[in-house]
Amino acid sequence: METEITAFMASAVRVATPLLLAALGETVAERGGVINLGIEGAMLAGALGAAIGASAGGPWAGVAAAVVAGLVVGALFALVAVVAGAEQIIAGTATTLGCIGLTGVIYRHHYGPGGVGLTLPTFPATAIPGFSALPILGPLFRQSILTYAAFLLAPALWWLLWRTRWGLRLRAAGEAGLQARTRGVPVRRVRTEGVLLGAALAGLAGASLVLGQVGTFAERMTAGRGFIAIAIVALGGWNPLRVLPAALFFGAALALQYVLQAAVPAVPYQVVLILPYLLTLLVLTTAAGRAKAPADLGRRAASVEGD
Amino acid sequence: MTPGSIADAAWNSGAFQGLELIQDSLQVQISHVEARTPGEQEEALRAYARQGYALIFGHGFEFQGAAERVSAEFPLAIFIITSGEQLRGNVAPMIFRLGEATYLAGLVAGGVTRSNVIGFVGGIELPPIREAADAWFAGARASNPRVTTRSTYLNTFDDVAAGREAAVALLRAGADILTHNADQAALGLFQAVKEAPSVYVFGANLDQTDLAPERVLGSAVIDLPRAFLAVAREVQSGTFTPHVESFGLASGVVRYEPNPALLHLLSSDIQARVSAARDSIIANDRAP
Repeated sequence: METEITAFMASAVRVATPLLLAALGETVAERGGVINLGIEGAMLAGALGAAIGASAGGPWAGVAAAVVAGLVVGALFALVAVVAGAEQIIAGTATTLGCIGLTGVIYRHHYGPGGVGLTLPTFPATAIPGFSALPILGPLFRQSILTYAAFLLAPALWWLLWRTRWGLRLRAAGEAGLQARTRGVPVRRVRTEGVLLGAALAGLAGASLVLGQVGTFAERMTAGRGFIAIAIVALGGWNPLRVLPAALFFGAALALQYVLQAAVPAVPYQVVLILPYLLTLLVLTTAAGRAKAPADLGRRAASVEGD
Repeated sequence: MTPGSIADAAWNSGAFQGLELIQDSLQVQISHVEARTPGEQEEALRAYARQGYALIFGHGFEFQGAAERVSAEFPLAIFIITSGEQLRGNVAPMIFRLGEATYLAGLVAGGVTRSNVIGFVGGIELPPIREAADAWFAGARASNPRVTTRSTYLNTFDDVAAGREAAVALLRAGADILTHNADQAALGLFQAVKEAPSVYVFGANLDQTDLAPERVLGSAVIDLPRAFLAVAREVQSGTFTPHVESFGLASGVVRYEPNPALLHLLSSDIQARVSAARDSIIANDRAP
């Protein structure tokens, strides 16, 4: 029984990693008042960047290329939604749709139209001595390096948001953009920086999907994970330290679908496939009702800056 | 028109190869679009018909309803629905009895498994996918009555990571032989199999041996290019009349392609059963 539980936990952590990275990135962007639906696209661009980078120069080159790809997509979104002050929801949706098309075109151009089933060099699971031998919790310490990075990023981002001057200015831009501007905060600049940091992490999320989980690329492989990450941000109350367990919760719910189908064939699979979404609704109606979004979330830069 | 990416190394790749073969062999103009949702599918069918394409392939069961709605407005066009349900005017189904090939793969699976647990990963539970999976299970039970079967559906054909996690969970549950019908999502399944010691897998729709040459026992193949070209030839020469076209092992369009490098894993008894079953299916033109 214990092996079943540890296997399930290992799967949950593996599934949660890209969600966590993307959700942490989105937390930063949203703390600055920008809701970026383009992270699904940034993640997909990161996944393709990771594939091309890793096949050329190994997994670390893949990580670097993924972050660059995420930044490029983030810069494009920031240009439209923050600098030009366009409607964020529409700009983000367009960014994601554009990325779905563009990654497909680049992939087919790069590897041929037929589909190749790439096998890429990946990050192997690295055991942390001592901890990895723990009962039950052991599998948490036998993960790819990107998973550890994601876990460490949560407290690091909390510190960045609540213990640095930059974090204060970003949160001010997200809570009360107009007042922040009158007190000399360059609202557009800090918002752009928040979006860029978030998109870089979305690119890293794509890299973790490719290099830490599946070892291959396929078109549309993010399959809505960016949008799930946005839900995780709300569930985590826009706080990196609470986003971490929220992402693990989602990872566990998603992993449970496959464990249940494989191990308990008596349960109809349709019921199992609804589970993560039922759990989400349940949790959102209870716990997340208490969380409060940044007050200026989604409002155009122009309207908060008064120009 | 395909319901997914033509870079899936499976169902949709095969259709695109068919389209290219038609272009090269018959010197005709071709076009392809990816249409995923029912709304897109109907609009894409209508657009092609309006542009005067003589032969339109809706590549999958999902196109049947949309083609029936559109076809009445365009009586001169011919709509072929692969894995379609029924003949309706100028909408003709092309049925592939993939189960005849997966039955043979099942015989092999039953003979090779040591844990006596085998697992299937499906994309979405469409009737043709269900039938091919059931035939695989039936084949395995025929050669090994102690076999336990497990199946998992992903509710997506795209999500490679879901394919991988589903495969990992099946392997954890004791399966040592897997097969799939999940198109692109199955790429993750092949990765999971490659990472686990001494487990094997079957390819679906295309010969997928190349995806894991040391682990793919064989593939249940639909030779889509051959089937597409045959229909296109008839349409070009004006001899096509809408009818239910059904391909099994006897036609040569549906085949079981073993991986020659792994034939040593099969006992001579199993090899004999596979060829006897193949002969019997071809002779009767239907699965046992």
